[in-house]
Amino acid sequence: MSVRTVMIIGRKEIRDALRNRWFQCYAAAFTVLALAMAQLSLAGTTLQGLAGFGRTTAALVNLVLLFVPLMALSIAAPSLAGERERGTLAYLLAQPVNRLEVLFGKFVGLGVSLVAALGLGFGVAGLSIAAKGHAQGLAGFLVLTAMTMTLALAMLSVGLLVSALVRKASVAVGMVIVLWLALTLFSDLGLMGGSLMFRLRMDELFHLALLNPLEVFKMSVLRSMHASLDVLGPAATYAVQEYGRWLGLIFAAALTAWIVAPMALAALLFARRPLS
Amino acid sequence: MLRITMQLVMILATTAGARAQEGELQRLIDESQAGQTVRVTAGRHDGPLVIRRSMTLAGEPGAIIDAHEKGDAIRIEAPDVTVRGMRITGTGDSLDRENAGIVVLAPRAIIEDNTFDDVLFGIYLKKAADSVIRRNRIGGKDLDLPRRGDGIRLWYSPGCLIEDNNVHDGRDVVIWFSSNVTVRGNLVSRGRYGLHFMYCDDNTLENNSLQDNSVGAFLMYSRRLTLRGNRFARNRGPSGYGIGLKDMDGVTATGNVFDGNRIGIYFDNSPSSVDVQQHFSRNVLAFNDIALAFQPSTKRNHFSENTFLENIEQVAVLGSGRFDGNSFTTDGRGNYWSDYNGYDRGGDGVGDVPYQAQSLFENLMDREPKLRLFLFSPAQQAIEMAARTVPTIRPIPKLTDSAPLMQPILIAMPQQTQASASSLAAVAAGLIVASGLLLTLVGRGPIRNATASTAAPAAQFEMQDSEAVTSTAPLLKVQSLSKRFGRVWAVEDMSFDLRGGEALALWGDNGAGKTTAIRCILGLYRCAAGASIVIVGHDVRRHGKAARTCVGYVPQELAFYDDWKADELLCFFARIKRVHKRRVGQVLAEVGLSDHARKKVAALSGGMKQRLALAAALLADPPLLILDEITANLDAAARRSFLSLLQDQRRRDKAILFTSHRLEEITALADRVLVMQRGRVTAVCEPQQLAQTLGLQVGLRVWVDAAGLDKAVELLHREGFDARRNGRSLSVRVRPDDKGRPLNVLMTGGLTVQDFELDNHSNGEEGVTS
Repeated sequence: MSVRTVMIIGRKEIRDALRNRWFQCYAAAFTVLALAMAQLSLAGTTLQGLAGFGRTTAALVNLVLLFVPLMALSIAAPSLAGERERGTLAYLLAQPVNRLEVLFGKFVGLGVSLVAALGLGFGVAGLSIAAKGHAQGLAGFLVLTAMTMTLALAMLSVGLLVSALVRKASVAVGMVIVLWLALTLFSDLGLMGGSLMFRLRMDELFHLALLNPLEVFKMSVLRSMHASLDVLGPAATYAVQEYGRWLGLIFAAALTAWIVAPMALAALLFARRPLS
Repeated sequence: MLRITMQLVMILATTAGARAQEGELQRLIDESQAGQTVRVTAGRHDGPLVIRRSMTLAGEPGAIIDAHEKGDAIRIEAPDVTVRGMRITGTGDSLDRENAGIVVLAPRAIIEDNTFDDVLFGIYLKKAADSVIRRNRIGGKDLDLPRRGDGIRLWYSPGCLIEDNNVHDGRDVVIWFSSNVTVRGNLVSRGRYGLHFMYCDDNTLENNSLQDNSVGAFLMYSRRLTLRGNRFARNRGPSGYGIGLKDMDGVTATGNVFDGNRIGIYFDNSPSSVDVQQHFSRNVLAFNDIALAFQPSTKRNHFSENTFLENIEQVAVLGSGRFDGNSFTTDGRGNYWSDYNGYDRGGDGVGDVPYQAQSLFENLMDREPKLRLFLFSPAQQAIEMAARTVPTIRPIPKLTDSAPLMQPILIAMPQQTQASASSLAAVAAGLIVASGLLLTLVGRGPIRNATASTAAPAAQFEMQDSEAVTSTAPLLKVQSLSKRFGRVWAVEDMSFDLRGGEALALWGDNGAGKTTAIRCILGLYRCAAGASIVIVGHDVRRHGKAARTCVGYVPQELAFYDDWKADELLCFFARIKRVHKRRVGQVLAEVGLSDHARKKVAALSGGMKQRLALAAALLADPPLLILDEITANLDAAARRSFLSLLQDQRRRDKAILFTSHRLEEITALADRVLVMQRGRVTAVCEPQQLAQTLGLQVGLRVWVDAAGLDKAVELLHREGFDARRNGRSLSVRVRPDDKGRPLNVLMTGGLTVQDFELDNHSNGEEGVTS
């Protein structure tokens, strides 16, 4: 696999992403969201300099939790399937490239586009906070930025896996929306019900939650923005006591696994699967 | 007294800066008289010291009392003793013996301006009423929290004043069985209980900061406690209360700030007496996980003009049971709730709609704390939405504030220190710049490495096997190529060679397997085992990418990136093929598209797209061109132009493999034809023999004088043609290369041919039928 070819295809993807109306809308919406998050969070701290992680910040983190995966999944899903459907994938693969270069090129290109869009949003939000003279939680801001980008890459990886599996862009988009609902809603509701029905222990509950990248993102962001992860109750307290300072590494590893594993599976399937 | 003081200064001065002689200080203390002052000069003095008469022990800067990890440092057994200005260190670490920096066993002691470090207990007052502990800095031993001692402990010591001390890294500040104590202006941090009251009546806590402890203040079994102007911040241990009230009676809390705690104020059976009311007013509870947490039986607490700001859960009722008997409105004034959604039409600062704390998910969390893990998740939002939508599962409000305030109540509190915003601004600006750079550098990278030499615009093709690839060796060698889709063989056992300057046509009906064969040759499909496809010495199955560097491919269905401009598209493929971008202009000129270079692909006609595809195929000047249905989208003129371009390429010694349905294309371009039927090669012939080999015929429609139609049919039948009348014309079936002969027959037979045309209707789109 040639890194140079990967980068050439990556550049093509960036170019396509920047011209994609959906991507432009997503990037603009995220910037507005980040700005709103910053301003509304600050609104609560103007009371005599008190600062903290409140309902408003939490609700906006929740919005990021909903928005960023949707953004990454829906950008990734049509990338391979759409090209396959239009026939451009076959033409591209008839050139001196191999399939892994195409797959990883798409990951690099879309990944850079997503990370840049998120960086822009967070940058604007950060400047708006700094302009008002607030600088508390710089580390939390950086962790939030980094983890959001990592989450976006994880969801991009999942989206590309779906895209490698199906032949039509519309089917891929439909599948990732179902997947998005599953990750954002159904898995948590299922785990809540399961924990009550089967009387799950704290360790079981925490470890099961680690399987959901969105839960991992939420916990890692809370850990950095809130005074302590114990705001999430006994299961999180167990995690803090059991893993201590390794917890951050565990969260990072869990999200990284969500990048690596779907991409590895996508590579396996895309390399072996018939073109049409 | 002056004489003795001077004597002590003189004696101790001799040991300043070093360890004083063992027992000297104790001897001098013992020799002092009641009311005298003993000054301790700089240097390390051995403990433990025991003070048995009223006196003042005053340390000069650098004076240290070191217990050497044994027992207490100073033990005061007489009333009216003052210890001031000393550094006290190195007590024993026995919790059983309660080793302390200073133990006071008599009333009216004054302990002030001392520094304690590496002590198990700091200051321990046992039955030392009316004592003062002031401006001391007390740090505990570096031990696990359960093994530490208390920074300050009062035991049966009423009437004391504890003021402006800084206690950190200890266990608790304990005040037990001591009434009328005032605790004022202290900072207690990083301990277990910032304050622990038991059985203390009529005490006052004011202007203290209790922060980063497990619990800010745990107040138990006491009466008439006043809390005023204190701050309880970030107390987040396993229980994590700002203050915890257990069986307290008559608490009055005003102007306190509770922020960032796990629970701001925790109520357990407080007040415990049925005739006692408790009042909480003008406090700020902000950014706590839970602002107020109640055991269900708790009653007779009254809250007014408090500010509940951005707490994750404003009020929690822990466990089951009916929660009532507390009020959140007094004299028409309620509290400020940051999540209040009401309005104030009259402008009196009081909301017109009552505030109600009502959340299904909060109720679930209160009963099943482990569900807190799903806090801030979309699942939480879904549950809340369901509760709002479905009345049957809507929870009973935990509380109702009938007069919520529209604005928070401001109270006096120390200004929070702010970190400099410049670092955040720099980080944020860096993020924006990095994002832009990332897109610019990665997205618009230069092509300077596209080729090693600008003098050689086209890519050089590496020959895998120099012996095999000679000037006469085949550029493409296909052996035993088979491909199956399910149970159907799309291509079966195909073999052929193709050399430079040679053009090979694949001929066959739709579904004959031509396109499948080409896709196998390009490595887009995996072919069945046993096949061998070698392009310029590269085995396609093992080195597909290298093989494709030697191929220019024009597909049957032109699939391009439609929103790209023609030259952009070619630049992209030039990078892929590692060709210098100057080659783009050359190939555009070669195919006659120079004037359309800046047009979007979508704006090009079918013929232009076909030529663009050929331009892309020619970018690297490859030795082998593979074209699938090359003129499918072209009109007659464009077809001729395109075929001319390909003939030029063949003359340049390129090998050409193409598929076509059109006999004239085959005849114009091919040297050989492979005839395919249902995946198999059924014949190999020259183009001129194709029609004969396959018995191909075209339909010809001829118009003659109406009176001569029957004669014409007869003449044609006589010459062996398949002819019949078709209205006022004749339909004749002829070989594609024999279209002129029927006309000659008719004219020789004396008939005038008025007009003729190829019968497209009978010929079908392909022009020929077998």
